[in-house]
Amino acid sequence: MSPEQHHRHSIFCILPPHLLEAIMKNGSDAQRAMAEQTLRRAAAMRTARAAVQAEQRAAPPAAAMGAPHKQRAVFDASHTENIPGARVRAEGQGPTGDAAVDEAYDGLGATFDLYWDTCRRNSVDGAGMELDATVHYGTDYDNAYWNGERMIFGDGDGRLFNRFTIAVDVIGHELTHGVTGHTANLDYNGQSGALNESVSDVFGSMVKQYAATPRQDAVHADWLIGAGLLRPGVKGVALRSMKAPGTAYDDPVLGKDPQPAHMKDYVTTTSDDGGVHINSGIPNKAFTNLAISLGGYSWEKAGQIWYRTLTDTRLAAASQFMDFARVTVLNALQLYGNEGKRSVTEAWSQVGINVP
Amino acid sequence: MRIQFETLGGFAYFPGLHRPLRIDTEQLTTLQAGEIESMVRASHFFDQSDSIRPVGAADYRSYRITVEDGEKSHTVKVVESAADRSLLALLAYLRALGAEGPTQ
Repeated sequence: MSPEQHHRHSIFCILPPHLLEAIMKNGSDAQRAMAEQTLRRAAAMRTARAAVQAEQRAAPPAAAMGAPHKQRAVFDASHTENIPGARVRAEGQGPTGDAAVDEAYDGLGATFDLYWDTCRRNSVDGAGMELDATVHYGTDYDNAYWNGERMIFGDGDGRLFNRFTIAVDVIGHELTHGVTGHTANLDYNGQSGALNESVSDVFGSMVKQYAATPRQDAVHADWLIGAGLLRPGVKGVALRSMKAPGTAYDDPVLGKDPQPAHMKDYVTTTSDDGGVHINSGIPNKAFTNLAISLGGYSWEKAGQIWYRTLTDTRLAAASQFMDFARVTVLNALQLYGNEGKRSVTEAWSQVGINVP
Repeated sequence: MRIQFETLGGFAYFPGLHRPLRIDTEQLTTLQAGEIESMVRASHFFDQSDSIRPVGAADYRSYRITVEDGEKSHTVKVVESAADRSLLALLAYLRALGAEGPTQ
């Protein structure tokens, strides 16, 4: 087994700060030294990350202005939970015949292309970062997630869910969590977390529309997240609907899609990190309203406003829906004048967010 | 021993899959009860603390587990990628029981 297969990212290995502080107070000499070193390393990581983010948001890195650097790698966890697993396809290599591997590879490419072609963003970090995905994670694993540095995909249980690489918008969604982490870094809780989720749905959906043959415009797109993921027999069409939040599924096992489409139905909950996958329906609907009202391809205008907002230094990590909406209006005005401002203001107003 | 187990997070929120699972080992077979109690002991569950939130991560799953054993009661929220191996074994066992739940 390669050393890579034993790797676990350091963010998962550090103890909670309060525990480290207790060890420093009460532990043996060796334990205190370990705790001090860990706290120092964590502080250095935070400082380095903040410095990189500040630099990236203030001015795109030089690499972002030069040639695009598309560098993909797909790894196979072979149904274990060891990350990253064995490298099975690198940039430029042909299809493997393994659907999950090849879908992940193609989806990484489609996401890179959307960001570069429409936003001139050179990969997740804006500086040509390698795009990595691990497939065949775990056994009957019904999930896909971003671990802070790579995408992880389960194969689904075959009963409720298919493999999570099957929908290209899911791949675009996960990589966009990486983009958000390098830009606005929206806190993953409550409204800022729902915005984090919504931005991933917005760009994931645009990846799907951009990668389609022929490309889909906003009016003809289905705006579904995870179409094809639900197994036959499950009563639903996808995991979420951006155009009609709350209507993606209604199934005896899964329950009913809980997403609201308007602030009057906002869900207050402690589950799901404060409803990040629930209330994201509201900004999702606002974006869809805007894209459809503007017509044409979603990435031409609506996507530009959202990308400008995500990379705007006025957008704080703890931003609430109203904060985000305000910055979209400012960017719409700057990009498309009063007509753009009116369109964005109206799109938010339709979901109950009235920007003064 | 009584255990309450709840799945949190993931790529999407499915109300039907996030219902808490409650297990009373007295209601299980002797074999199952013994396995769970052994895994709880092996994981030093009552000494476990909450996982820290993974920096920059999203859509990850976490679990809230409460174990009551006699007069002792303890709750932890753990992120699956951050849990130690003994706790992962307990999580896998509870997940398997949870997967059986909705079909019953």
